[in-house]
Amino acid sequence: MNNQKILGIYDDENKLISSIQSLQDKGYKVKDVVSPYPIEKVFELLKLKTRLPALAFLYAIIGLIGTFGFLYWTSVINYPLVFGGKPQNTLSFVIVIFVMVIFVVVSLTLTSFFIAEKKGPGAKPGFEYPGISDDKYVIIIDKTQDLDIDSINKLMKKEGAIEVTEQ
Amino acid sequence: MYNKEVRGVLIQGNKTYGQITSDVLAPQERKAPTWWFIAMFVSSVMMMVGLWAIYTTVSVGIGTWGVNNSIAWGWGIINFVWWIGIGHAGTAFSIFLLILRQKWRTSINRAAEAMTVVAVLCAGLFPLLHMGRIWIGFMVMPYPNSRGPLWVNFNSPLFWDVVAISTYLMTSATFWYLGMIPDLASVRDRATSKVKKAIYGFMSFGWVGTAKSWLRFETAALILGGMAAPLVIAVHSIVSMDFATSVMAGWHTTVFPPYFVIGAIFSGFAMVLTLMIIIRKAFKFQDYVTEGHLQAIAKILTFISLIMGTAYTTEIFIAWYSGMEGEIYTFFHNRISGDHTKAFWTMVTCNAIIPQFFWFKKVRSNITLVFIISIIINIGMWFERYVIVVTSLSKDYLPAAWSSYSPSIVEVGTYVGTLGIFGIGVLLFIRYIPMMAISELKTVLKGTSIITNKKDHE
Repeated sequence: MNNQKILGIYDDENKLISSIQSLQDKGYKVKDVVSPYPIEKVFELLKLKTRLPALAFLYAIIGLIGTFGFLYWTSVINYPLVFGGKPQNTLSFVIVIFVMVIFVVVSLTLTSFFIAEKKGPGAKPGFEYPGISDDKYVIIIDKTQDLDIDSINKLMKKEGAIEVTEQ
Repeated sequence: MYNKEVRGVLIQGNKTYGQITSDVLAPQERKAPTWWFIAMFVSSVMMMVGLWAIYTTVSVGIGTWGVNNSIAWGWGIINFVWWIGIGHAGTAFSIFLLILRQKWRTSINRAAEAMTVVAVLCAGLFPLLHMGRIWIGFMVMPYPNSRGPLWVNFNSPLFWDVVAISTYLMTSATFWYLGMIPDLASVRDRATSKVKKAIYGFMSFGWVGTAKSWLRFETAALILGGMAAPLVIAVHSIVSMDFATSVMAGWHTTVFPPYFVIGAIFSGFAMVLTLMIIIRKAFKFQDYVTEGHLQAIAKILTFISLIMGTAYTTEIFIAWYSGMEGEIYTFFHNRISGDHTKAFWTMVTCNAIIPQFFWFKKVRSNITLVFIISIIINIGMWFERYVIVVTSLSKDYLPAAWSSYSPSIVEVGTYVGTLGIFGIGVLLFIRYIPMMAISELKTVLKGTSIITNKKDHE
């Protein structure tokens, strides 16, 4: 948190979006946007992507192979036991596999989410500003040497920022 | 015509975003009302009764229950299935409606999920207690052991139950908590006392609400939802297979899995309705849980009630059509008529007939009647499990083994205890956790709720 940031505070979603658009048109790099609820448009403008679905799919494959491997090992290799003449490698494994895939996907996806977000019990919020979890929206721009702060300031104010500060 | 808003206004009263936060959090920032302490006291007393019953069961043994060799599954399994059914509310509500993009879920999903977690905890107690020797309960888990190693029977629905219910508990609890994190951050940011700030700061995992966080958050919620939707169907299908894979007359039917899943969602929705009417009234949330919300649930219940009626009729028809003596005896002489008629007809009346009154708008919009019917449904669903468990077991293929069953005080005590645990859980929830998903309410505000000054907001 050493580097300085310029914060534009807004109280309306539409003003926030048009402000991001005009900042990006002028070639300024919007570092982040903080909002009290998810806004799809912001994801589009900041070109954000997430690899969580791909990871979840990977976890599903791990869960599938892992569970089948475990069932096969226990029931066919380690201790083959005959239940009423049924085959040892049976179709009813499908049910345990199905549920265990869900178990593995849910637990590992969540773990990945918290690791990627660096969040967990007792983690400190990296950024604080009054009202960001209530009804304020914040645009964060990294302050660099060659940045024209005045024009950013004016632009944000013109687009309806209620306040522009530095932190 | 095709643009008609089906659900109408979801949040009434032209709220601003700030108002939503303060409205939802207001009950926690006030002092707890007197009725909360009274309810807490009553629930604690009920829990004490339950603890006594559990102590008796564990220290003396399963002989303290009313079950016998013929009717080995009594109240324990009835209540297990009943609680699991109620525990389907959260998933049914929050996850099916999330996947179907139904925006009206936002005011109710949090409470429904909280209910689910507590109800599944209550449900899990029963199979454990029913083992009798609870201290060797861990033996149902497949782990390398010194007995062979002898593994559990992976082909048994009872083992599938262990896997499914623990997965369901884990999934619904984490899904609930994940959704809560942004709202806990709201509580943290508004907290005035240092202690409260520290506690909610710890619980909110350092949530800020940056764009990337929100994107990942929504994606994770959708993945969890997508995973939990088939899970909820699997859980109750598996519970039904505990019955359906046996050869008991009245249990051995292919209709059981869908019939159980629908029944579970039925009782879950009814319980949500009961609780939401109380919460709405107690905390004056009429702007958020509108009559439209309650009517939407009532309409779903009407439909599910029709399915329940169909399922009951199908069972009876197939029993006759199969021409199998045992089935015919069970359905025609041990349910419709015979020793258990009262339970059977209570079940039919409560589940298939009374909810049909929701067809009338007058009934649907009368909150008191809706509240009463929602309770009646859960009574009916309890009797459904009673009918299934007790009638089939009481008179099986061997008349010499016919038996009757009445619960002992210990079984009743356990049930009362779980009701107490449920009560305590719900009361703690409404006191310390935002009752509605604040951030989700805010996402639906603009699209669905600002009518009078629409122009300013577009």
